Amino acid sequence: MSVERLRAIDGLNLPGEYRALLRPGEAETDSRGNVHRLPRFFYEIDSWQQAHEVRFAPHFTLAELMLVDCREADLLLSQFPHYVPCAVILLAMFLEDFRREVGGPVFISANGGYRSPAHQIGGAKSIHAWGTAANIYRVGDTFLDDAKSIERYGAIASSLSQAVLVRPFGSNAGETDDHLHLDLGFVSLAPRECSEAS
Amino acid sequence: MSRVDVGGNLGGELERLTAESKARASAVALHDFESGFRFSLRGDRWFHAASTIKVAVLLAVFRAVDQGRLGLSDSLHVRNRFLSAADGSPFRVDPASDAMPELYRAIGRTAKISALAEGMIRASSNLATNLLLDLLGVEYARRVLRDAGISGVELRRGVEDHAAHEKGINNEVTADGLLTLLSALRGDFLSSESKEQAIHILLGQRFKSMIPAGLPAHATVAHKTGEISTACHDMGIVYLPERQPYLLAILTEFDAEQDGRRETVAAISEVIHRSLTGTEPKSK
Repeated sequence: MSVERLRAIDGLNLPGEYRALLRPGEAETDSRGNVHRLPRFFYEIDSWQQAHEVRFAPHFTLAELMLVDCREADLLLSQFPHYVPCAVILLAMFLEDFRREVGGPVFISANGGYRSPAHQIGGAKSIHAWGTAANIYRVGDTFLDDAKSIERYGAIASSLSQAVLVRPFGSNAGETDDHLHLDLGFVSLAPRECSEAS
Repeated sequence: MSRVDVGGNLGGELERLTAESKARASAVALHDFESGFRFSLRGDRWFHAASTIKVAVLLAVFRAVDQGRLGLSDSLHVRNRFLSAADGSPFRVDPASDAMPELYRAIGRTAKISALAEGMIRASSNLATNLLLDLLGVEYARRVLRDAGISGVELRRGVEDHAAHEKGINNEVTADGLLTLLSALRGDFLSSESKEQAIHILLGQRFKSMIPAGLPAHATVAHKTGEISTACHDMGIVYLPERQPYLLAILTEFDAEQDGRRETVAAISEVIHRSLTGTEPKSK
């Protein structure tokens, strides 16, 4: 299924209970004190079947970029439609480049793609709430759970674009030791069919 | 039907067994619903909980289900990374000592809460235990124990948290405490549906070389064993079709190299069964 068949919506037009959780366009201060606007435009996904059918890139379905566990807000977890920021398509395109470079399958962990601002892990301060971050736990048959593998694949990801941030190996804040975190920054995407007039 | 001298010289027999086994210590707590007989031998002595603490986590899981905090069909991210109760340092559990290898193959993906609860009890999976406790939080689980009126079960951390162990932060239990935990599981603390499911999980226990090994073949036991280098325990609800069930907790402590630990727990189980039912000793 092509992405054109997904409906892009303005989060500001969503029912109140969804707006309270997704907080479209709201300002959020990150850990450095910088203020960013949470995503406003979302793809509306009607079912898991649709999420599995939609390919944002040849080797990445929407489903693997939106898989969350029970730490997600119940409304966003247990019933459809689900909403994923439109910028997730840019993440998929980058992951496809990364996959080509590493020459093997790239696996995104649960909670490792888009998480809503209401998710118990990170919440709105996490860049995962922009849909532009991925936690890669495995490349081919290699689990990324030590310094060697995380640094090796982190270097490859970094080499692909200056826009990419890769967290270093380690157990302190801002570091990872059982996956590779990469992100494209606080990117928001406004689809052609949507208006940014508030 | 012959009259049974319930209890009899139970204390003396258990002391003899403990002495013969070269156990450093033992404790037993018993509540028989058929006769109303209650028995406690060193029931307030504290032991390292080993995997018996997983029953406390099970109680917390089903309490959380009853409170709508989570559902058994909910999915949880499987990740082998936990933070020590001692200093917040990360640690992982050892796949080599876990009887649920399939859960390690799911790392990065998700597992159902029900599957984790089953794996925690039936396979004694340390990974499943830490995942559930990490989700619920130690403080929540402790609050559940308090709300259930359970004393004698101190849940302080996840399993295989070696940094905490080195600082003396351990999960500890008494035999009396485990008995109140079993009572809570069997009583009205949980909804009837949760109670039934929790006991069903305990009935599926894979490791049967302790309490069940001392019982006749037609007995069924909803139980949980616990073994570490020096501790060897079993606790459970013993069901016999001809009578009401009894609750039993057997805790033992041995030198690390001592043989015959499980056999000792099985022998204690047999003595208790014989004492409660007036049956003859099993032929050797």
